[in-house]
Amino acid sequence: METIQYAIRKLLYSIPLLFGVTLIAFTLMVYFGPDLTYSLLGKSATPEQIESVRKQLGYDQPFLERYLMFLKEVVTFDFGNSISTGEKVSSILARTVPVSFAVALPAFIISNVLGVGLALIAAYHRGKLWDKSVMVFAVVGMSMSYLMIVIAFQVIFSTSYGLNWFPVQGWVDPIPDYIDAGFFETIYYYWYYYWLYVTVPTLTSIFVSLGYNTRFFRAVIVEEMNRDYVRTAKAYGIGNGRIMVKHVLKNAMIPIITRIIISLPFVIIAGNLVLENFFGIPGVGLVTYDAITNGDLPVVKAVVTWTAIIYVFALILTDIAYKLIDPRVSFTK
Amino acid sequence: MKTILRNFLASESSRESLWSKSFRKFRRDRFGIAALIVVGVYAIIALGVWVGLWGQNWSDISDEGFQGISRDHWFGTNLIGQDIFARAIAGTKTAFEVGLVVALSATLIGGVLGAIAGYFNGTIIDEVIMWLYGCIDAIPFYLFVAAIAFAMQDMPYAMHVAMIATFWSSTCRIVRGEVIKIRNLEYIQAAHAIGVKPLTIIYRHVTPNTFHIMLVQATISFVGAIKSEVILTFLGLGVQDGVSWGTMLSESINEVLRGHFGNFLAASGFLFVLVIAFNMFADALQDATDPKKISS
Repeated sequence: METIQYAIRKLLYSIPLLFGVTLIAFTLMVYFGPDLTYSLLGKSATPEQIESVRKQLGYDQPFLERYLMFLKEVVTFDFGNSISTGEKVSSILARTVPVSFAVALPAFIISNVLGVGLALIAAYHRGKLWDKSVMVFAVVGMSMSYLMIVIAFQVIFSTSYGLNWFPVQGWVDPIPDYIDAGFFETIYYYWYYYWLYVTVPTLTSIFVSLGYNTRFFRAVIVEEMNRDYVRTAKAYGIGNGRIMVKHVLKNAMIPIITRIIISLPFVIIAGNLVLENFFGIPGVGLVTYDAITNGDLPVVKAVVTWTAIIYVFALILTDIAYKLIDPRVSFTK
Repeated sequence: MKTILRNFLASESSRESLWSKSFRKFRRDRFGIAALIVVGVYAIIALGVWVGLWGQNWSDISDEGFQGISRDHWFGTNLIGQDIFARAIAGTKTAFEVGLVVALSATLIGGVLGAIAGYFNGTIIDEVIMWLYGCIDAIPFYLFVAAIAFAMQDMPYAMHVAMIATFWSSTCRIVRGEVIKIRNLEYIQAAHAIGVKPLTIIYRHVTPNTFHIMLVQATISFVGAIKSEVILTFLGLGVQDGVSWGTMLSESINEVLRGHFGNFLAASGFLFVLVIAFNMFADALQDATDPKKISS
């Protein structure tokens, strides 16, 4: 009951944030955005047609009316049709979001788990050789540009100048009709092609995010190690390794989990913008990239607004998760 | 107890300022000094391009496309016979221009708003500023830039504006937290008691004590701006005319598949060395200026 009350209060608090986010998206992309009349009508349009389309798009309305129209689009998830392909924006997203998840999820999990592991090793051997090597590795990783790593990994893994193990670009096709595959063959087919196409992008994004993750997690763990209870635990004669895993890591989990949950919406869409475009994977990132380069406003509008809204909800979820996990956090505040 | 006593004794025995102490500490940091020297070399290169000493012939086209390394072309030439070394040198200037403009503006805006929000903590002003950076943080960076590019069509500075509009928020957050701490100290209360105006207090007594944070934040923003420029240029939202490491890397995407690595190696080498030097410099700066760490 208390949790539900808390959740409702958090939701209410997030209303100004949602309002601000939609207002920014609206002002930038709709109010000051490009005039869509001509891209919808084409070259040979009569003045009457132009008039009616302008009316339909609400260009003759004042700011507030248009903002309310935009909010209605956001809430009903009806952003209209894409300008370049004419497909409904909602169906484009429904088609591409699962692909993006499939690409981003393995890398996301591995880089966070590896990051926590490396951070634990570094913090455990603080100031020693292990710590220094891990941190040097992290700084080197942080200093490389995403684009640089993508190009290098593609050359190394996918071309004849390197190992040539994986295809340069592409994504899993459905099994052709003329092949009569059984259940296990189907599973094997998808499994094989999934990893064939997803391995290099996964390695790339692990490499890109690992440095940042390790540094952040190490800072959190080191801060936790300076607390009094660690000294007390040591005085009781509990082994260092046990303290690290059972006490320090457990207490450091809150900032770590916050970072992981909050970064998820960003990783799925913003991170995939470069990756999917580069490896030709038909996910949200590629669609968004095409939309940006073609000036396809409805798609960009939908992606920007919904990523921001999902982020706000992720914030609320982490807050609620704390209260459930951590008894120290009070409900009343 | 012991640390309190030690801090007390330390503050009695030395009358050094935060800055001279930081400077002394920074000078002992070998990696920090090395990084600063590298950054300095880059700055001189950029300055030389800016005043026209070198790197002016980056756009000259010759009919010697895809040449290897030679004495005339240190890193070879690209598809249309432009000298890659000259382009990388000219790109240094672009990188510094983007980095400095973004770092200075974003730090200034973040510092001022953070100081105001922190000083008026708990009032409506604080709430509004917190709301503002909360909203900015909710929109993914590249998409925010795309949104701004939609709004500012045909404006060559859309990229700069977008970076400044997003990068100030982290500075603002940190400065705000520090100012909330400072504002409860006795000397601020004393200034308040003798009737100094709030804005004067903020300007003369609060902000000088957050300069070390702003300095570190500025270096971090600088690195962020240089790295973002590369991605944004690749996405078609960045540098439109002129040359940058981003345009070179974008050009190299198709070249590497045909076995011409000159553009890629030159741009990524220049970029990597500058960014790692700046990262190390920022770390050293942070260590040197963190008052919690100044004990010796």
